[in-house]
Amino acid sequence: MVKDLKTDVLVIGAGPAGSMTAKWAAKNGAKVLLLEKRQEIGSPVRCGEGMSKDWLTEVGIAPSMRWINVEVEGARIYSPSEKVLEINEKHAGNEVGYVVERDSFDKQLAIDAANAGAEVLLKTAATGILKENGKVVGVKAKAFGEPFEIRAPVTIGADGFESQVGRWAGLPTNLMLRDMDTCLQYRMTNVDCDVRYCDFYLGKVAPGGYVWIFPKADGLANVGIGVQVSQVQNPADARTYLDKWIAAHPAYAKGKTIDVVGGGVSISPPLKQTVTDGFMIVGDAARMIDPLTGGGIANGCIAGKICGEVAAKAVTANDVSKAFLMAYDQGWRARFEEKLYRNWLAKEKLVTLSDATFDKVIDALQGVKLEKLSVHNILKAVHDKYPEVTKEFEAFL
Amino acid sequence: MTGKKDLHIESSGQLCIYCGACVGICPLNCIYLDETRITFDERICTRCEICVKACPVGAIEIG
Repeated sequence: MVKDLKTDVLVIGAGPAGSMTAKWAAKNGAKVLLLEKRQEIGSPVRCGEGMSKDWLTEVGIAPSMRWINVEVEGARIYSPSEKVLEINEKHAGNEVGYVVERDSFDKQLAIDAANAGAEVLLKTAATGILKENGKVVGVKAKAFGEPFEIRAPVTIGADGFESQVGRWAGLPTNLMLRDMDTCLQYRMTNVDCDVRYCDFYLGKVAPGGYVWIFPKADGLANVGIGVQVSQVQNPADARTYLDKWIAAHPAYAKGKTIDVVGGGVSISPPLKQTVTDGFMIVGDAARMIDPLTGGGIANGCIAGKICGEVAAKAVTANDVSKAFLMAYDQGWRARFEEKLYRNWLAKEKLVTLSDATFDKVIDALQGVKLEKLSVHNILKAVHDKYPEVTKEFEAFL
Repeated sequence: MTGKKDLHIESSGQLCIYCGACVGICPLNCIYLDETRITFDERICTRCEICVKACPVGAIEIG
């Protein structure tokens, strides 16, 4: 029998959001347990591995060649007829950055958490939640298959897209079909890609999503697709669309796949509630993924820091009520909720556009000097050239 | 089983890549991913087939 455990702060899931939460809770004096169901943190990778970079300092992550594969200069957005909009670092601000080795990145964040004082338990899965008087007081767990209990005043769900802990705790994390992209990616070698850019292909090649090319060094690239589940017609559409796209692009058709990665990405508006008595939820589990870009690492880490700090404070104050933990809910909302909503609204519009409209939008932006890339600036440029296209978007202007 | 369709997940590794997409979308929280094993709770599953759509590789069959 494994012995039952007690801790101050219990974090379920050692992805970036979980490790950041554990690190910042430990740094602020709490006794922390970080649970990971896999035997190896960060593996297998379930990510496109593209990441912005301007938020790293804010949360105390030091860029390292151990996990940065290439540093890109910009992004290129391709319309259905493959007109290109190039967005450089100056215009995009934080939206471009690194293509990373996610397994190494996740391991580094777990190391940071451990070095800050957190205990890490591998091969340990949460199998249920413990509640007393309606309050979360820990989880039932299995370590190497053996059941035991962990009790903690503060439990945090950081169990990723397929989160169960949040639902057990009573938070409504359910997604509708339209709120999810089903994703598939091949890591390919022997492809002709430009390591200066992350490429995005929009339109019917990927209904309700996009095809991405995130370049890596030495002729490698992550070639992937996201398709909105409500637009899926047949099983395995993600694979069908991706294979079709690759076959139509000789620079990639000649490549060889050495790795297949799949997964779900939420494209929903943010959750209405992320705390309850004795419980908080963070990262992809809290549907913090940017619904426009599909990126989740930055928001997960930023929220993780706030979550860890609030958890430690709650333990110190001996108050783990929902009212106390609301400081976390308010903290992450103040930091990035508005952007999530804005990008969700933009995405809701984008998924309805025809290929012809996508072409006009990208065409209108050709040669336009955009000081800063914002939905407003883009729409203004499109309006100047194709006023009829922006009729439906007047709410944004 | 009482009139429910059979549920079959191809989880021998030939199709399923254990990505968890089905787990995240299941409205009843009745799909479990454990390393390289996916299981459904037959008692809860209503055969809504949402997971079939969410699977990127078409590994779930309800017939």
